[in-house]
Amino acid sequence: MRDLQDRLGYLVLIATAVAYFAVYTTSLGRPPGSFDYLAILNTTMPLALVAIGQSLVVLTGGIDLSVGGVVSVCVAVTAATGGAPGWILVVLLLGAAAGLVNGLIVAFGRIAPILTTLATLSIYTGAALWVLPVPGGSIMPEVRAVLSNPNIPTALGWLALAVAGWWVLRRTRFGMRVYAVGSDETSARAVGIPVERVKTAVYALSGLCSALAGVFYVSTTTAGDANAGAPFILTSIASVVVGGVAFTGGRGSAMGAVAGAVALTLVIDVLFFAGIDPLYQSLFQGLFLVVAVLLGTAAALLARRRTT
Amino acid sequence: MNRRALYAAAIAVAVLVIGAVLTPGLASWPGLRAVLVVASFTGFVAAGQMLVVLVGGIDLSIPWVLNAAAIVLTTTSLGMSQRLPVALALAIGAGLAAGLVNGLGVAWLGVPAVVMTLGMNGVLQGLTLGLSQGLTCDDCGHYAPSPLRDLFAGTVPAALLVWLGIALLVTVLLRLTVFGRRVYATGVNPRAAFLSGVGVKGVTVALYTLSGGFAALAGIMLVGYGGQASLGLGDPYLFESIAAVVVGGVSILGGRGDYVGVVAGSLTLVAVTTVLRAQQVPEHGRLMIYGLVILAILFAYGRERAHD
Repeated sequence: MRDLQDRLGYLVLIATAVAYFAVYTTSLGRPPGSFDYLAILNTTMPLALVAIGQSLVVLTGGIDLSVGGVVSVCVAVTAATGGAPGWILVVLLLGAAAGLVNGLIVAFGRIAPILTTLATLSIYTGAALWVLPVPGGSIMPEVRAVLSNPNIPTALGWLALAVAGWWVLRRTRFGMRVYAVGSDETSARAVGIPVERVKTAVYALSGLCSALAGVFYVSTTTAGDANAGAPFILTSIASVVVGGVAFTGGRGSAMGAVAGAVALTLVIDVLFFAGIDPLYQSLFQGLFLVVAVLLGTAAALLARRRTT
Repeated sequence: MNRRALYAAAIAVAVLVIGAVLTPGLASWPGLRAVLVVASFTGFVAAGQMLVVLVGGIDLSIPWVLNAAAIVLTTTSLGMSQRLPVALALAIGAGLAAGLVNGLGVAWLGVPAVVMTLGMNGVLQGLTLGLSQGLTCDDCGHYAPSPLRDLFAGTVPAALLVWLGIALLVTVLLRLTVFGRRVYATGVNPRAAFLSGVGVKGVTVALYTLSGGFAALAGIMLVGYGGQASLGLGDPYLFESIAAVVVGGVSILGGRGDYVGVVAGSLTLVAVTTVLRAQQVPEHGRLMIYGLVILAILFAYGRERAHD
């Protein structure tokens, strides 16, 4: 049953997917087709990427509010430059550098993660507005065809790559250290783990993930907006929570967070096809979030009762 | 009173003096009054945020509790003075009820504060948008009753006296009552507090309830100030309330801090923005400087203790 809480994200995703399938089919009289799956995939990509980065930070017991600002500034630069491959590389470096600054302040400046990233959120959002004062910009069609092609599921390949990256990462020494720092920082320090370096690295990786998300955002929407990143702050935290990553650190996985991100995106479609007034959308999203976590807590309680 | 609150007060004075030198208008009473009035809104939400932060919690539901209360006020008072008392009671009641649910979820169901209050924010956003039909309902366009708008008139606006009253109330509650001692005891070490007979759960529920009430109060005052309710009224106050609390010297880990500091923190943040606006710094510059100021203050007195 302890496994149940760890697999919360997948269970929630399966339940949501079943609901989506049922509601879609009853509403339109046919099961969802390849076009629908492709649309879901392409709209989920940015959130899934941010959620991977957020989960890494949360695994060490931190939180990254600046993802909103990093996504915004990366969206702004990508859209302003049209997303030429050279510029995409610059954007990725920029995102990683922004994350690195967070990490250095948190780990070596000893300022609480929520406060550090709150301050840098404002700085990065300002930088995004500076680069792209009014919404607009463009993306090269060739880049779009490779990243989030509206006709063939190219994004699936990138998502698989991200999943594979995580799969390898958690098996490396660094991956083990991330869990060690999140589980018990004092013990991790006592056994000689360079806690500061691990923390710095996870924030840098989170910045890199946000940069990737920014590029995919421009690729999917074909335009940029300096405020594009703001919604990702709360939705990435929600994805991580629904994905079964514990806020106390050390429990959960980035894959759970990806499952959470897909589930959160699907819920919007479920509500739409169920004919619920879009004005009430966030009401159900809020309930979904709390209920998903309560289910996880209930599962953990049941497990404890059964073992004792 | 702790030392950090004094630092916070010193910084507020310094920012105001620098502001007065840069912008002569700020040195006059009307200039200072404008800053104080705008800072009072931050002060109200930050009072609630401080109370939950003192026990190591956080309230992310402030934006829509504030917004919901503002709309409850206008739609029940319908601009009529004789309906104001009932409308005030309903608006504050709505805030307290939302806070109570937050508190029960956090203390009794064990839902992490971030999740519970984020979910509550979504639920209230959905309810507010849905029930008011996106603020297009017949009663939604009403102005605030005139007694409420008069709070902001005069040489010394009554709104500032309300803030002074709240400041005294919160300070007395925390520093001179048994309840206050229990709050700090819970914040320093919940386990030790519980073992020495403090009803930790009850204290937690009470603090979240109060936070909901303070967010509602801010909503009411904002309606009085602006004349009407609008959607998104509370959005700026989520991160602003957290920033005011930590700039005011309250430890984000709980157990330490005073409302005097938070008042100074609110003033500092609003004064910085006001001076930057008066200097005609563009929005991107304001955001970046705002973030850098918070970061500088955090480096000055918001650092955590070094690990041995």
